Amino acid sequence: MLSHFLLMVLYALIVSLFFTLLWRRERKEQIRLFLQIFLGMVGGGLLVAWLMYPFPSGPPAPIP
Amino acid sequence: MPQPPAVPERRGNAVVAVLSAWLVPGLGQFYLKRPLRGLAFFALVVASALIGCHLEGNLYKVLAGQPLTMLATFASMGMGFLYFLLRYALHYQGNIMGAGYEYGTAFLLTAGLMNLLLVLDVWDIVRGKKE
Repeated sequence: MLSHFLLMVLYALIVSLFFTLLWRRERKEQIRLFLQIFLGMVGGGLLVAWLMYPFPSGPPAPIP
Repeated sequence: MPQPPAVPERRGNAVVAVLSAWLVPGLGQFYLKRPLRGLAFFALVVASALIGCHLEGNLYKVLAGQPLTMLATFASMGMGFLYFLLRYALHYQGNIMGAGYEYGTAFLLTAGLMNLLLVLDVWDIVRGKKE
C-alpha cells in the first residue's frame, strides 16, 4: 500500500474522477477529460521524478 | 421589442443546499435532485479521507504561532461532518512517524478541498448559473 507510485496513481484517479464528474456531463467529454487529467497527473509526476533523478536525495529531513 | 433579461431559475433553498453540501459530501447534489452525482461525490470524498486516515496523515488543527495551520484547518474542515467525526468522536491523530504521513495529509486535505468545491458547485446550481 505504501508504494509511492501506487499512491500517486490512486491520488490521480480520485482527483481526475472528481473533476470529470464536476465539470462534464456528456459521457464522451467525461472520458476525454478524465484521460487528460489522469494521464497528465501520472505522466507529469513521472516526468518530474525523472528530471529530479540526477539530484542526490540527501539526508532525511529532521522530525520537528 | 427588447426581451426582458431572463431570470435565473432558482432550485431549492440556497442556505439548506449549501449547508447540507458542506455537512455531508454529496448531500447538496442529492438535495438538488442529482442523487447519482451526489453518491459518486460522497464516495470520492469519503474514499480520500479514509485513505488519508489509513496512511496516518495529519488532520490539521490551528496551532499557536503557526498561522498557515489556519488555512490548512479550514481546508480540512471542508470535509464537513467527517472532520468532526474523526477529530472529536474517533479522536483521530495522525502519526508523524508513519511512512505514509505526508501522503495521508495530502489525501485528507484533498478530501476537504474537494468538498469545498462541491459547496461552490451547489451554490452555482441553486443560483441558476449551472445545470
